[in-house]
Amino acid sequence: MTAQLVENVLQALVAGLLAGSIYGLMCVGLGLIFGVMRVINFAHGDFMMLGMYAAYYLFGALGIQAVAGSLVGPYIAILLAGPLLFVFGYAIHKTLISRVTGTRTAQLDGEGHYAQLILTLGIALVLQNGGLIVFGSVLASIRTPLSSSAWELGPFWGDFVSVFLNKSRGIAALFSIATIVVLALVITRSRLGKSLRAAADNPEAATYMGIDVDQAHRLAFALGVGITAVAGGLLATNYPFQPYIGLEYVIVMYAGVVLGGMGSIIGAFWGGMTIGLVQQLSTLVLPTQLQNAAIFVVFLLIVFLRPQGFFGRVVERT
Amino acid sequence: MLRLEGVVAGYSAVPVLRGVSLAVDAGQFVAVVGPNGAGKTTLFKTISGIVRPSEGRITFEGTDLLALPAARRAHLGIAHVPEGRQVFPSLTVLENLEMGAFTAAGRRDWKRNIERIFSWLPVLAERRGQFAGTLSGGEQQMVAIGRGLASSPKLLMLDEPSMGLAPAIADFIFDKLIEIRRDTGLTVLLVEQRVAEALESSDHGYVLEAGRVVLEGDNRTLRADDRVRRAYLGM
Repeated sequence: MTAQLVENVLQALVAGLLAGSIYGLMCVGLGLIFGVMRVINFAHGDFMMLGMYAAYYLFGALGIQAVAGSLVGPYIAILLAGPLLFVFGYAIHKTLISRVTGTRTAQLDGEGHYAQLILTLGIALVLQNGGLIVFGSVLASIRTPLSSSAWELGPFWGDFVSVFLNKSRGIAALFSIATIVVLALVITRSRLGKSLRAAADNPEAATYMGIDVDQAHRLAFALGVGITAVAGGLLATNYPFQPYIGLEYVIVMYAGVVLGGMGSIIGAFWGGMTIGLVQQLSTLVLPTQLQNAAIFVVFLLIVFLRPQGFFGRVVERT
Repeated sequence: MLRLEGVVAGYSAVPVLRGVSLAVDAGQFVAVVGPNGAGKTTLFKTISGIVRPSEGRITFEGTDLLALPAARRAHLGIAHVPEGRQVFPSLTVLENLEMGAFTAAGRRDWKRNIERIFSWLPVLAERRGQFAGTLSGGEQQMVAIGRGLASSPKLLMLDEPSMGLAPAIADFIFDKLIEIRRDTGLTVLLVEQRVAEALESSDHGYVLEAGRVVLEGDNRTLRADDRVRRAYLGM
C-alpha cells in the first residue's frame, strides 16, 4: 500500500521533471524574446508548431531517416529544425516585427504595444490556418523506437518500488537541458550575449556603446524562435501534433515566463519546470482533465505570493 | 574635430535646439552650460543620434554624422556618458566596462584601458563582480565614466556627471575627471549645471539658453562676463 503510493509519487515526479525540462526550454525561447525586446509574442506557440513540422518533414520526407536511421535521425532533424526556424524568425523580425518594435516604437501609440499585440496575433492566425492548408489536420508524430521502451530505475526499498523512465522522454529532457546550458553560457559569457543583455537593460545606453539595438532584437527574436522550435521537435517525439498545437502551449509558456520572473531567462526555465511538475504531480490527486486547471491554480497562488516571479527583482536602484 | 552648424532639433513639432552652432577642436576641453531646459541633453542626444535634427549639419573629423545610424557613431570614437548615468543594472561592473569596449578600438586597447580605469577609479576594481544596479549613485557615475573611457574614445561627452550626487561625491567625480584629462589629454565636451567648476577647468565654453547659444568664448572671457557672473556664478 505505502510502496504503491511511493511508487506513484516517484513516477509522477519523474514524469514531471521530464515534461518540465521540455517546457523549460520552450519558456526560455519565449523568455529570451520577452526579456530582450519586451514584446508579447502571441505567435510563439505557432513558431513551435512550425519547428515540429520542420523536424517531422526533415526526418521523414527529406530523407534523414533514410540516411541516419530511426534512432539518431529524429534528433538530427530536431537539431536542424532549430537553425531553420532561426532563419525564419530572423526574416519575420526583419520584415514585420521590426516595424513595431525597437527604435521605431517612439513614433507609435502606446510605445507600439497595441501594434505588437495585433501583429503577433495576426501572425499566429496566419501560421495556424496556413499550417492547416499546407500540413493538413491529421495528427502527425515523429516516431522513434525509443518512445515505446523504458529504463527501469530500481527496484528500491526491497523489491517494492521501481520507476520507469521512458527512453525518448529521457533523451528529450537531456537534450533540452544541454541546449539550455549552451544558451546560458552564450548569454552570460559571450560578447553577443552580453550585448543582448545590455540592449535589454537600457537600449539607449546600448546605442551609445555602439550596439545596434534593432539587430540585437533581431538576433534575440530569431534565437528565441529557434530554441522553441527545438523544444517543439523534442515534444513531437512523444506527443502527436496538428497545426493548432501552438494554442495549447503558448499559454503554458507565458505562465512559465511569468512564474520565472518576466525578463529572467534562467527564471523562465524554472518556471517551465514548475509547470511540468505541477501538471504531472496533480494527476496523483486530480483527474487528468484537471491538469491544466491545477497549473493555473498554482500559477495564481505563486503570482499572489510573489508577483515578481522566482527570479524577478522587485526594485532596482537607478 | 566635432562641428555643429545651425542644428535645429526636438522631440515633436516644437524644436528644443533652435539653430545651435558649436565646435570642439582636438585636445580641447569644451563646456556647455546653461539652465534646465536649455537643450543641453538634447544637444548631446542629437550628436549621438538618438534625436534626429530637422536642420543643420554635424560632422566629426570630416565625416557627416547625420548620414550614420546612431549605433555607428560610437565606432567613430565618440563616447557618450549620458545624463542620469544609465548604467546596465543587471550587468556586473566589469561587464558594463566590457560593453563600453564594444567598439573595435575598445577591444584593441582593452588591457591597457582597464588597468588605467581601475587605477583612476579603484572602487570599480573592488566592485567589478557586483551588479551595477546595486551601486550607489556616485559609484554608478564612476561606472558610466569608466564605460565611456573603455571605448578608447577620441571625444568624451559627459552629460551632467554631478547630477543627483551629494556635493562631496560630485567634487570627487569632478577632480577625477580633471585628473583623467590631465593624464590623457582627451578631448572632452562637458555639459554641466555646476557652472563655476565647469568653466574653471575648460578651455572654451558655450552658454546655451532656450535652445540658442547666447554666449561663447574662452574660460577667462566667460568668467569675466557680467551676465555669466550674475546668472550663474552668483557674483
